[in-house]
Amino acid sequence: MSERFKYRDDREAYSAARVRALEALLIKKGIITDRTVNTVLEFFETKMGPFNGAKIVARAWVDPTFKERLVADTPKAIAELDLPDGMAGAEGEHMRAVANAPGVHNLIICTLCSCYPWPVLGLPPYWYKDPTFRSRAAREPRAVLAEFGLPISEDVEVKVWDSSAQIRWFVVPERPSGTEGLSETELEALVTPEAMMGVAVAKAA
Amino acid sequence: MLTQFEHFAVTEMLGQPDSPPRANGTLCFGSEWERTSFGIALALAKEGYFEWDDFRDELIASIRRWEDEHPADYSSWNYYDQFLTALESAVVKTNLLTASELREFFTLGDQVNQ
Repeated sequence: MSERFKYRDDREAYSAARVRALEALLIKKGIITDRTVNTVLEFFETKMGPFNGAKIVARAWVDPTFKERLVADTPKAIAELDLPDGMAGAEGEHMRAVANAPGVHNLIICTLCSCYPWPVLGLPPYWYKDPTFRSRAAREPRAVLAEFGLPISEDVEVKVWDSSAQIRWFVVPERPSGTEGLSETELEALVTPEAMMGVAVAKAA
Repeated sequence: MLTQFEHFAVTEMLGQPDSPPRANGTLCFGSEWERTSFGIALALAKEGYFEWDDFRDELIASIRRWEDEHPADYSSWNYYDQFLTALESAVVKTNLLTASELREFFTLGDQVNQ
């Protein structure tokens, strides 16, 4: 069907109408229901994704003892939070948190595979699997971070953590200054996947 | 190690020619029809109406065709145009729906009552 619509100005409207026809027919035939799309996408939109990592980091910001437990035994600390089932399963069970601090900046990479802590960070960005990024980040992390717009001063140590099938790392960024009055929920909104990978820092809104 | 189908399906695409648009750790949809297309394809494969890999073959072929037809100008590129074309092809090939049924149900502008 697509050929007929290729050069139309109202291609958006046509595509939307094609999907409506497709969905309506599949529902009419009992193959799917009107809830199917939302149910399947819930996995990405509410169960597994960077919003979980944001909750973990925000808790660590407001509760220093939680932060200590998180770094000491990541799965056990995560289990304290009310996160979706499955957080401790799949790849979640091998997760380890490393915390940034004055004088230490952490960066996570994966030189051998596509290991990525999905349940807390969501889908990896395009460049994460790029062989050039992987090898350069391991070899010259400061230069790579500078290219990400994050120059690290010489008196700060850069630690690079290479994920494997056994351990998947994520970074607890430092709480930005000027956020003292914010609630835990407001703090969650400041935590980005990039900050939890260590290619950015969390910033006050 | 238990892996959910949704996780497996999207992970397979990453770094491949049919890698879906994403931003800030989540799938990135430009409009509701793009989201619905993705959800339908994933749901049908999850329920076993077709193999995810077979659908992806359709999608990759559709992307390649588009690139061959637009060698210089990518300005009209939309990932989900190709995704929808592949999805229509997959439901027809697996006899879930026929092309004429799809044409019959196609009404531009009017919301189809569900």
